[in-house]
Amino acid sequence: MKKKKENIFHILARWFVRMFMGPKYEEKMYKKANKNIVIDDEKQSVPNDSELIVSPAKQALQGFLDNKFAVFALFAWVFIFAFVFIAPLFMPKYSDAYTEVTLKNLPPNRTMMKVPEELKNDIKMIDSYGPFSVGLSNAGKVYVWGCKKLGASGMDVEIPEEYKDIKMAMVAAGVDHIVAIGEDGKIYAWGSDRFGQYGRSENAITSSTIEAMPEELYENGVDVAHVKKLTCGYQATAILMDDGRVYVWGNKQTYSNMDNFLGREDIYDIDFTLNYIVGIDSKRNGIFTGTRGLYDTAKTSFSGKGEKMFTFLNGRKINEITATTANMCILLDDGSIAIVGDSVADTVDVPTLPEGEQFVDIKAGNYHYTALTNKGNVYSFGGDHYRQAEAPAKLQGVSKIFAGSFQSYAVDANGDYMDAWGFKGFLLGSDDVGADIWERMINGGRITMTVGAVAVIIEIIIGVSLGCIAGYYGGWVDILIMRIAEVFSSLPTIPIMLILTSLIAQMSLTTNQRLMMIMVILGVLGWPGFANITRAQILVARESEYVTAAQAMGIKEGRIAFRHILPNIVSVILVSITLRFAGAMQTETALSFLGFGVNYPQPSWGNMLSRASNATAAKNFWWQWVFTSILIIFVGVCINTIGDTIRDVMDPKTNSER
Amino acid sequence: MGRYIAKRCLYILAVFALLTFLLFSLYRLMPANRAYTDARNELQSLKNSIPAAERETKFEELYLKYQRMYGTDTDDTVILYLRWLGLYPFYDGKCNGVFQGNFGHSYEYNAPVVQIIGPALRNSMIIGAVAEIFILAITIPLGILCAVKRGSRLDRGIQTFSLIGFSTPSFITYIMFILLFASILRWFPVSGMKTPGSDYHGWMWVKDTLHYISLPVIALVFGGLASILRITRASMLDALSLDCVRTARAKGLSSKKVILSHAWRNALIPLVSIFVGGFFGIIGGAIMLERMFGIKGMGLMFLDSISKADYDVIMFIEVIYVFIGLVSNLITDLCYGLVDPRVRISK
Repeated sequence: MKKKKENIFHILARWFVRMFMGPKYEEKMYKKANKNIVIDDEKQSVPNDSELIVSPAKQALQGFLDNKFAVFALFAWVFIFAFVFIAPLFMPKYSDAYTEVTLKNLPPNRTMMKVPEELKNDIKMIDSYGPFSVGLSNAGKVYVWGCKKLGASGMDVEIPEEYKDIKMAMVAAGVDHIVAIGEDGKIYAWGSDRFGQYGRSENAITSSTIEAMPEELYENGVDVAHVKKLTCGYQATAILMDDGRVYVWGNKQTYSNMDNFLGREDIYDIDFTLNYIVGIDSKRNGIFTGTRGLYDTAKTSFSGKGEKMFTFLNGRKINEITATTANMCILLDDGSIAIVGDSVADTVDVPTLPEGEQFVDIKAGNYHYTALTNKGNVYSFGGDHYRQAEAPAKLQGVSKIFAGSFQSYAVDANGDYMDAWGFKGFLLGSDDVGADIWERMINGGRITMTVGAVAVIIEIIIGVSLGCIAGYYGGWVDILIMRIAEVFSSLPTIPIMLILTSLIAQMSLTTNQRLMMIMVILGVLGWPGFANITRAQILVARESEYVTAAQAMGIKEGRIAFRHILPNIVSVILVSITLRFAGAMQTETALSFLGFGVNYPQPSWGNMLSRASNATAAKNFWWQWVFTSILIIFVGVCINTIGDTIRDVMDPKTNSER
Repeated sequence: MGRYIAKRCLYILAVFALLTFLLFSLYRLMPANRAYTDARNELQSLKNSIPAAERETKFEELYLKYQRMYGTDTDDTVILYLRWLGLYPFYDGKCNGVFQGNFGHSYEYNAPVVQIIGPALRNSMIIGAVAEIFILAITIPLGILCAVKRGSRLDRGIQTFSLIGFSTPSFITYIMFILLFASILRWFPVSGMKTPGSDYHGWMWVKDTLHYISLPVIALVFGGLASILRITRASMLDALSLDCVRTARAKGLSSKKVILSHAWRNALIPLVSIFVGGFFGIIGGAIMLERMFGIKGMGLMFLDSISKADYDVIMFIEVIYVFIGLVSNLITDLCYGLVDPRVRISK
């Protein structure tokens, strides 16, 4: 058989095998190329009554395996390490810079799609704009589910006790308030009223950025039989009457065109995007926002080319308008639909219906649309970040659909719950911009681990080679290298890194280049430790017989240093590697925490904690730092345990003491 | 001994010069031009008195004036460095640098660096010194106890605690302390060094300061315990297995005497560098602690200066850091001689 030339990985693997399993095993694996290895060979060749001579490496391995906690730590660490690299592959929708204003600061909660059991057989309507949903039964009872405690104050949007017995006719939810119209025509609302979402507080009436609830509504309510639509926007509410009258109130900072709708009596339909109130006036031939030309193009699909509204409609009338945060969908009187406005990332395009099928109803969430056809089929399209635009294919015979903020619900002819799809909630909560902590934790772990690993590799490359050279050659080379190492180690680590990272922050680098620079800085500043250890070990090994023998055989000095001595000191270096890895990780975490390492939006365990580090956030949004902290501490404990155990089992002194 | 110290001092000076030069060159990379900014500002204030045509020449003139004033009228890093040190004259022929006591000027505070460093240094040292004393007072007895009672329940408990503590980044400890004591229990104020707006003296000042520094000190002590405890225990364990300890036991000395005078003396050798380093470290302040607790110490000043690009302050603090590092190395080596008579310093 032709002898293969050994490459560096091959050599490393061989050293590894040799270190843990002894030279005999290594010989079998690598010299004979024989797959059938009899491990018990050695034992058989030794008479049973004599004591086995165990190589130090084997003894060390045995010692390591005896320590159950260390073995557990090793497995846990390998698992986490592998997990943070593999798991992001299964998160195709994850992006670093993702933000969602309606889902910020949410606690761990997976109940956003969980319709209460009592409501399931009797659904009249469901609505939602943010993390909680509100449902109304035909009996007039209101149910709230999802994240009911909002914001730093932990305000509860559960229906207040005094409203519980009132029969409601309609209900709608904003991002932090709920408005209901009772059967008696009175308007009931609860949740936050800081921006005039409901009621007529002093603040709401006097503030110029708030349109308070109209007094006649507040005092007398409405004629509930003639209410056409009740809908809520971000922090605003609209009630549309049959005769075209419209009442709008709420936060004018979010909806700057609110004034254009006040007191109008010719509105046919109305809805809220994130920044505009959009409506259709009684002519039904275009979208009314109060600003001319805004939203004046329509297209039949997200990818399609926009056409002027007038030519697009071509005489057809708009039956219904429904809006997500960025765009809106109009249902025309011939049963076709059209998209108006910009598309968002992760969009599923509008489906093409089979011949003879027509859309009869369409509902909008915050990004997605769910549409019902005259055949009872349901289609979802639009923003799909939380898989809310992926309607189950098997769903048939649907008679009513509802859309929550990121969910869709299908209801059959009896008002019975059929199915729901979309966003369940955050496993570990969300951060202050509405990103999923679980996803950021995994992806941040990937970056933190990468930084740690690459930094240590750079340290090893510089430190071990310089240490080898210094230890082996001695003399002035040794003095020079060790003096340089001394200078490097007397540099104050964190301050120097702060300066260097703030320096690279001023260079125009891409995020990945920046990350690379951080790794290089960590690595270049950390090498003296490795150099010292390697040098000390080499000084010992240099005096040993096999080196003298190798020298006598006339082997080149460089070869002796790297091929004969280095493999023998690899075990000591291994201990340093584990401990330095923990060190590099902690340094990166600290730097990122201070805002000098990995920067937002790129996640790292350090910068995830930095925004949850003030007293208020730490108390109210505990999930934003607790989980990440636990993970950091756990990984640190694992690595330190592994390092300690390896050091213990390799130290003959501690062994003999046992 | 004296020769050794002199030699080491010379070496320190050389390394110090090299490091400060490196740092100085680093700062030169940062985009800041004080002369340019000041010239622009002055031109802005003179706006109306100069005709538009002359503005350009006037600016050139002002720019040159400021450059000469700040000593940046050359691009040669070596000359700039020497000027910073005070070994090379400015344009007006006078030396004005570190040797003349001028460490630069803070743009942010518009005051000499030395002047603004004073209060920061005091804050850092108060907290650091108190914490360091507590750390030593706790870790030394506890470390000895753990090593002597190795494998006992107490030892295992403390081992677990110190492993977790050692693996916990300091800022997580601080978050937990702030949350628990300041936010939930409300025993201590969240941040700061004194009651805002107060001007206490004497006993009131002591009381107020104590109230404010308690939490940072407790957090700093708690965060620093683990690593020193581990090292103390490990070196004490090593010392307990020495032959001299066995001999001392064999000849019938009381175990108290064996542990405290025979074993502890030997265990102290590896600990010296850590103790000395710790005491010198308090001068530099604890960056993370000061940032989390909002204490205006050296660490926070350093952070602020970096983010506000106040280069003279950064440079000065960095020089202090380097100096502390080098001097504490020297002191450590000298202390080895004190602790361990075998160490002959006669190189």
